[in-house]
Amino acid sequence: MFLSAVILILQELLEAALLISMLLVLMSVLRQRWPGFFNVALSWVLGAIAVGLAGAWCYALLTPLVSTWFDYVGYEVINGALQFVTIACLVVFCYALNPGLAPARWQARAGVAAVSMIVAVALGIVREGSEVILYVQGIVGQPENISPVMLGALMAAGIGTSSGLVLFHSLGLLPQQWTFRVAILLLGLFAGNMAAQAVQQLTQADWLPFTAQLWDSSGFIAESGISGKLLYALVGYEANPSLLQLVAYLAALILVALSPLFRSAWVPASKAEGA
Amino acid sequence: MRRELIVLVASCLLFIPVRAAVPDIELVIRDHLFFPAVIEVPADVKVRLVIDNQDPTPEEFESYELNREKVIPGNSKTILFIGPLKPGEYPFFGDFYPKTAQGRVVVK
Repeated sequence: MFLSAVILILQELLEAALLISMLLVLMSVLRQRWPGFFNVALSWVLGAIAVGLAGAWCYALLTPLVSTWFDYVGYEVINGALQFVTIACLVVFCYALNPGLAPARWQARAGVAAVSMIVAVALGIVREGSEVILYVQGIVGQPENISPVMLGALMAAGIGTSSGLVLFHSLGLLPQQWTFRVAILLLGLFAGNMAAQAVQQLTQADWLPFTAQLWDSSGFIAESGISGKLLYALVGYEANPSLLQLVAYLAALILVALSPLFRSAWVPASKAEGA
Repeated sequence: MRRELIVLVASCLLFIPVRAAVPDIELVIRDHLFFPAVIEVPADVKVRLVIDNQDPTPEEFESYELNREKVIPGNSKTILFIGPLKPGEYPFFGDFYPKTAQGRVVVK
């Protein structure tokens, strides 16, 4: 029970932990690069985590009801909707922040970006956290499982937090330009991950048509293995994606890649200024 | 002339695609086990999986091979669609109780 609890809780936690670290890396890079461009206090991120946890609790309480909506596919529909809102927030974040604009216009846009970032973090925690809460609530009725699951939860929390810290610090070790580039690229891949997951949920609900499976790389990297799970949380790795999942993934990634923030990281400064 | 028209309209109606009825397959979760543990499904058809979780605890139906994942609250019913699938075996498990909740879809 202990090991299953660690694995289950960790895979839910990783996604949120990695998203928070990417955003924290971006915040610190932007602060160093363009002082006054995007200054958000750390307490806002902590606030987003708290709001997310409260939301996760409510969503867990509502899951039995939500599951019966739309002829028993309400869970997929609401999850898909939450994922699309998360993508929208990440896209707004990358379009609101444009270092090429006059510094006088930075502050208003930084506000929009901060709100989007906070909503994205909170929604991530709502979705993933509610699953953990449901799981733990189920265990409470089984006295013999309480202590292994609680220990597992603590261990998962430890590993999840450390993975976030490892990502944060290893990105910080790169030269600043590359920290910026990799962090924004990871954010784009994260948006792609959300899009592919939302498509999977809506296909399973029969709200989106079935499309052919494109490949099967489970022999190479299995989704059930540690690297598969880590890649899933980080970049949305799927061993047997459908055509529609890939299309949605690329669409979200391209949307982020065309944003001013992404371009300011990847397009050389001389060209970006000329644009 | 009128009869020919009726025949023409009737034969056209034959070609209007009718949404094929999706077969239901029932699956029960009890004592953290799947009943039946092996489900047989015809190849190349979409199937509606009706899952009845009779345990008081929630479970998560998950399958990497089927690319499916869904939380099912305790004492409740849910529906998810799988397929059309190629012939083969597709394992699934309960992510909350993976030691016991194991099953597979056999597509023929």
